[in-house]
Amino acid sequence: MRRDLGRRIYGYLVSAAFALFLFSPILWTLSTSLKQPTEMFQWPPVIVGEPSAQHYTAIIADKDFSSALINSIVVSCSTIILTMALSIPAAFGISHLQKTAMRRLLTLVLALRAAPAMIYIIPYFLFFRQVHLVDTKIALIIVNTMFAVPLAIWYLSAFFDQVPREIEEAAMIDGASTLQTMTLISIPIAKSGIMATAILIFIGSWNEFLFALTLTRDDAKTAAVAILNFIPFEGTDWGKAAAACVLMLVPIVVFVPFVKKYVAGPTTTGSVKG
Amino acid sequence: MASSRPKVSSALITPAIGFLCLATLVPIAAVVALSFGDFNIAFPEKTRFIGLYNYARFLSDGRFINATLVTFILVVVPVVLQLLCGLALAIALKEKLVGTRWMRAAFLLPSVVPPAVGGIVWKLFLIPGVGGLSYLASLFGHNFEADLLGSKTSALISVIIVSIWFGVPIVALLLLSSLDSIPDEIYEAANLDGASWAQAQWHISIPLVLPAMGAVAVFQALEVLGIFPVIFVLTGGGPAGATEPLNFYAFLTAFTYLDLDYSAAILVAFTTTIVGVCFWSIRQISATRVGR
Repeated sequence: MRRDLGRRIYGYLVSAAFALFLFSPILWTLSTSLKQPTEMFQWPPVIVGEPSAQHYTAIIADKDFSSALINSIVVSCSTIILTMALSIPAAFGISHLQKTAMRRLLTLVLALRAAPAMIYIIPYFLFFRQVHLVDTKIALIIVNTMFAVPLAIWYLSAFFDQVPREIEEAAMIDGASTLQTMTLISIPIAKSGIMATAILIFIGSWNEFLFALTLTRDDAKTAAVAILNFIPFEGTDWGKAAAACVLMLVPIVVFVPFVKKYVAGPTTTGSVKG
Repeated sequence: MASSRPKVSSALITPAIGFLCLATLVPIAAVVALSFGDFNIAFPEKTRFIGLYNYARFLSDGRFINATLVTFILVVVPVVLQLLCGLALAIALKEKLVGTRWMRAAFLLPSVVPPAVGGIVWKLFLIPGVGGLSYLASLFGHNFEADLLGSKTSALISVIIVSIWFGVPIVALLLLSSLDSIPDEIYEAANLDGASWAQAQWHISIPLVLPAMGAVAVFQALEVLGIFPVIFVLTGGGPAGATEPLNFYAFLTAFTYLDLDYSAAILVAFTTTIVGVCFWSIRQISATRVGR
């Protein structure tokens, strides 16, 4: 079969077609972000003429966008901490339950996450308005944590499943409490899984748009929403919007290789293997 | 010690599950309650119960009926095409041909792009005359200047294509892991029996990944509705509602027209349908996870 020509023709054709489809919009954005304003309307269009960093320096100097970037980082990191504080103990506990109880809880966790995000937008808006937390990072952190906890519990419990029970039991026999066993034995062993989960939470929070759009005005606006300010009204200067897009992609491109296996979501990974 | 264990476990689990229940069930109950009420955000104290009135409004709301149709199209068409394209890509990537290795590492990128960024990236790509698509066309000697987002049909097709762009990598990843788990011996046996590569794909690969495709389809059906930010950036639901699904219509109803009770009714109807279809599958999949 190795010498089968059909295999090669198919493989190269399909790979090339998808490479074009999947990457050309992103590459075009990268090229636009480096263009001089005059090159943007050249006919026929060009990929790169004289690369210039002017759009990048412009958006970094833009106070609104740079503070939105900082908001994004603060909200994402706080979401990781809060989600982990809730999910690590829960996942450790769930991982040590009997199978029936475990299945029920994991089903509950997933079911609670099944409703589309849009259903939460009105009650959260009214609630945060009532308690004067609209346009604060706290509101976004709470919402993002709500979306992240089910995912985190799902993954972390699977990682805790892989911690050898003999080691935990040995610690318990030596007099360690459950909490000590978790913090001193199981968490260090599941470290890489916990890191992967943290990255997934970061990406989810970094990418979140709907709640950042409705729950913030100026102070707490995140980059995923602030980026809209750069969209020109009448097809004029797209350089800043493109540069902002590229900046938003940097952490994604850096982190995703570490979590490639898991980005398909907690709901699907288990099912496909069977 | 054995007897003290369950107690400790519930102390560990309760905070997270409690938070989760509070943060999901209370808001959902609030939306359902709101959908039965007459609510004005300026005068919340005047809220009164009006039963199913908001739901009755569906019948005479042409925009709701249009949005329902658009929702149906924007779920079914992208999911079907994502599955077909994802399978095509997964089969190609499984072969690990020289020069396609980098694809195996990089093809996931569109799926993890922030949706709002994806919207801008595509808007930029589709600018009539000077966008990336016009550039690609010019490479092939064509002068392409059509405004794809300007007419109803082409705008809808554009949104579907962007939706496929976001979804294909995930589908391909899942199907690829399913394909990679097929033992090589099966292909070798087929080869010895004189089957060509194409025949082996048709008779071995595709039948063996079909069961996985069912589950993938269900979850992509939930996932494709997350395209809201893309629609927000790319078309704003237009032109003339051509790309306005129910969640987008509900968003505008709530935050542009401030008709929160009617928006709640739309969202309740929308969510009930989606979750009803998916709940059964979630049970199945969670059983698989525990059984492993």
